[in-house]
Amino acid sequence: MTLIGGDVADQSEGVAATATPALRLRGVCARFGAAVNRPVLDRVSFDVCPGEFLCIVGPSGCGKTTLLRLLAGLMKPSAGTLEFEGSAIRGPSRARAIVFQDYANALLPWRTVEGNIALALEGAGVSREGRAERVCGLVKKMGLETAARQYPQQLSGGMQQRVQIARCLAQQPRVMLMDEPFGALDAITRQILQDELLALAAEQGVTVVFITHDLEEAIYLGDRVIVLAANPGRIAETIDVRLPRPRNQLTTREAPQFLAHRHRLFGLLQGH
Amino acid sequence: MTYLRAAMLPLLFAVGVIALWWLVAWFRLVSPVFLPSPERTFDELAVRFADGSIWLPLSATLERMIVGWLLASLAGVALGAAIGLSPLARDFLSPTLEFLRPLPASAMIPVAILFFGLSEGMAIFVIAFGSVWPVLMSSIFGFGHVRIRLREVAILLGMTKTRFLIKIATPSALPDILAGMRSGLAISLILAVVTEMQASLPGLGRDIFLAQRSFRSTELYAGIVMLGLIGVLINQGLHRAETWLLRWRPQRQ
Repeated sequence: MTLIGGDVADQSEGVAATATPALRLRGVCARFGAAVNRPVLDRVSFDVCPGEFLCIVGPSGCGKTTLLRLLAGLMKPSAGTLEFEGSAIRGPSRARAIVFQDYANALLPWRTVEGNIALALEGAGVSREGRAERVCGLVKKMGLETAARQYPQQLSGGMQQRVQIARCLAQQPRVMLMDEPFGALDAITRQILQDELLALAAEQGVTVVFITHDLEEAIYLGDRVIVLAANPGRIAETIDVRLPRPRNQLTTREAPQFLAHRHRLFGLLQGH
Repeated sequence: MTYLRAAMLPLLFAVGVIALWWLVAWFRLVSPVFLPSPERTFDELAVRFADGSIWLPLSATLERMIVGWLLASLAGVALGAAIGLSPLARDFLSPTLEFLRPLPASAMIPVAILFFGLSEGMAIFVIAFGSVWPVLMSSIFGFGHVRIRLREVAILLGMTKTRFLIKIATPSALPDILAGMRSGLAISLILAVVTEMQASLPGLGRDIFLAQRSFRSTELYAGIVMLGLIGVLINQGLHRAETWLLRWRPQRQ
């Protein structure tokens, strides 16, 4: 992961020419119904390299969630193209998993933690034993051992979000699309989950597109941060985060570079 | 202490009603020909249990009611799923169902007799017709209100329609389906009794009717008490089944 750091983004044109990007957007526009003259997204283009951790920040109404839904294949753009590993995105794929912010709505309340994780494996050609084994592995990996037989409503928010992440990992996605996954959690839980996510992403080598409205979170997690502006949603700035990995909640956040990025992003989000 | 109170409270009111009934009978405020005392009524019921003569009508009524109710539940859930999940099915079926729904089930008895004769089939048709509506209405609601997120999860996981129906839509609608089935069961008991009276089919309803015709009022009241007991017991059973099936729900305080 450290290798990818910032260099890749510098040479994004060159890299794109030689290796296939995990995701590629070109001139993507999105409009909703009657608001034809006011697009939600206006000509958005960027690439995401395999294994990259890309964060997208922006004010509310800048089309962050729309962008993620387009990448998942839940929506079609009104103009422009979206590609996943070199081929056009035509619909959802198990290779691209979404983690929603509202974990409570995204989990099946009538299934236990184990059952919720297993959902992603059912109908995927995994045998019953293979399923149980993988669920068990993910329960351990996400620290859900004590909660395995409990129902989602019996768990804290942080634990529920862990279950959703485990379900996404069970899909064995190559891209994880995360829509403000820690936005509803308390500060401490959020920091713990940030570090767990970074470790997981590095270990699995999965590409992550992470949406947040918290610019410090974006800098802390990302290899690169894309700042969106609103009305219409468009890329205002792309920032390479060259902070060393593994990152640390204290030292990384106190590094001069972190603070410099923070100043820059803060200014951008204020509209300068 | 609180447990004891919770168990005693409902009994207290029942005992009060029986006491009132007993007083009315004791002071002969109503002639015993029309209102026998509670102890004579309960004696009658005990005797009929002891000599086994209650089993035939009791089982006939129960069977009719349960078969009709199960058919209604099946049809209600199937139609409800179709209407709740597919706008096409809704547009296709709803107007006709809206026409049929307000028809009193008892008005269907003559029609059913024309088609089925004075038979068991007639009774089951009428019971099913009457008790399908609450199941249907609550199923439409339940299947129509599957959370959008869960629909998206199904789409993202590439679930087929059948898998979505089994793994997501049905469990999600289950609380509503069960509530509808509970209302349907009460209606099925009423209609079981009504059809027996109308078509003279063996059962508690007919026994009550005949007892009234021949002024055997203890038998009449014993039959009514029996019907009440059926209602209480079946509702209890369903309530337990519901608690178990919906055990994932947070406990209500």
